[in-house]
Amino acid sequence: MSTPATESRRVADVALGLDRFPVLRPNDLLKTALEQMTAKRLGIVCITDEAGQLQGIFTDGDIRRHLLTVQRPFAAFFSDDIIDHAQRKPTTVSGESSLREALDIMARLQIWDLPVVDGSGRLIGLLHLHPLVEAVLAAPGRA
Amino acid sequence: MTTDKIVEVGYGKVARVRIGKGLPLAYIGGPCAIESRDHTFRMAEAIGEICRKLDMPWIFKACYDKDCRSAADSFHGVGLEEGLRILADVRDAFGVPVVSDFSDPAWGPATGEVCDLVQVPAYLCRQTSVLRAAAKTGRPVHLKKGQFMSPWNMKNSVRKLESFGCVGTILADRGTFFGYNMLVNDMTCFPIMARTGCPVCFDATHSIQMPTSMGNVSGGQREFIPALVRAAVACGIQALFMETHDNPPKALSDPNTVLDLKHLEFVLAQAKRVHETRLSLLQEFGEDNVHTGH
Repeated sequence: MSTPATESRRVADVALGLDRFPVLRPNDLLKTALEQMTAKRLGIVCITDEAGQLQGIFTDGDIRRHLLTVQRPFAAFFSDDIIDHAQRKPTTVSGESSLREALDIMARLQIWDLPVVDGSGRLIGLLHLHPLVEAVLAAPGRA
Repeated sequence: MTTDKIVEVGYGKVARVRIGKGLPLAYIGGPCAIESRDHTFRMAEAIGEICRKLDMPWIFKACYDKDCRSAADSFHGVGLEEGLRILADVRDAFGVPVVSDFSDPAWGPATGEVCDLVQVPAYLCRQTSVLRAAAKTGRPVHLKKGQFMSPWNMKNSVRKLESFGCVGTILADRGTFFGYNMLVNDMTCFPIMARTGCPVCFDATHSIQMPTSMGNVSGGQREFIPALVRAAVACGIQALFMETHDNPPKALSDPNTVLDLKHLEFVLAQAKRVHETRLSLLQEFGEDNVHTGH
């Protein structure tokens, strides 16, 4: 489904800014990640180093999978560094990509969020499915 | 995401003891308390001879103030000034690094001026003021896991120390409360605490303690020391802590738990052998990697 909105608008136009989604450091506790995800009402945290380079992501799905495989008390699980449970090489998208490209990636991987990075791998935003859909639906020519 | 750290203990003219992954097992030991100058020197000489014979790195341990006694009239120690003078003289005479614990942040600077390694007692392992004082000494810190603490929560204390500029931390297990007046050793605490990147240590003589089980003094089951030492070394400790005394029934501190000096060589020799075997097994088979989790 190509529309003017998906072809012409860029990911950077729709992505959430860094203050709108959870961004943690690698050594932050898993418990902090869960709190941040709840507070920001998103199923993902992005993990960056001090320079802002994306080091990994941690999602609702990761929690589900780990709860079934990590046979440890919650107290121990909560105390883990978030990076120990993170996806270390997440799929990302450039701010210059079209919404069409981003949608294709999300559909293919069946994911709701894509970290947005610049050319050097620095995290600059998060593309979340809901604003993306709203942008598409609000585009001229769409009912 | 941690890097295994090596902690080097020793400054000035004493021997350097390096503790960490792949290095020889280090022994931290001596009498629980400084009872007198003569006794401390006698113990240092005897232990030093055993460690030389076994070619085992060694840090001499004795405390100047036992602040956690069960009873007010129990032996409390020779005090800060006299104790540190004796420890400084032991360093000079035997060329051995020394360690003492301290319970009051105000004692930190003086302790760090003399001791090569400063120890934080288990009961105080999460006490911010004590951890800050320990880190500020500029010496590496021997931090004992509280009997009430989980091994994974020790990371919080390690990070407190790091935030105060600590140059290196050794994490020790001395048992975990198992109901009242009883301790138990969970050997999984060593690989768990090692995930902090800190070298890990087993305190064998306090692990067999039965806290305050004798009314106003602690009891202990010394007979289990050798078995627990072999188990802990096999689980990957890099340092072994044991208090020892030439006449345990007459020891002024921990008479029911200190290892009789006449058994020290027997236990240390086995610990060394198990450690070397473990290192060769790691070389042959690689690191443990059988988890099914993340």
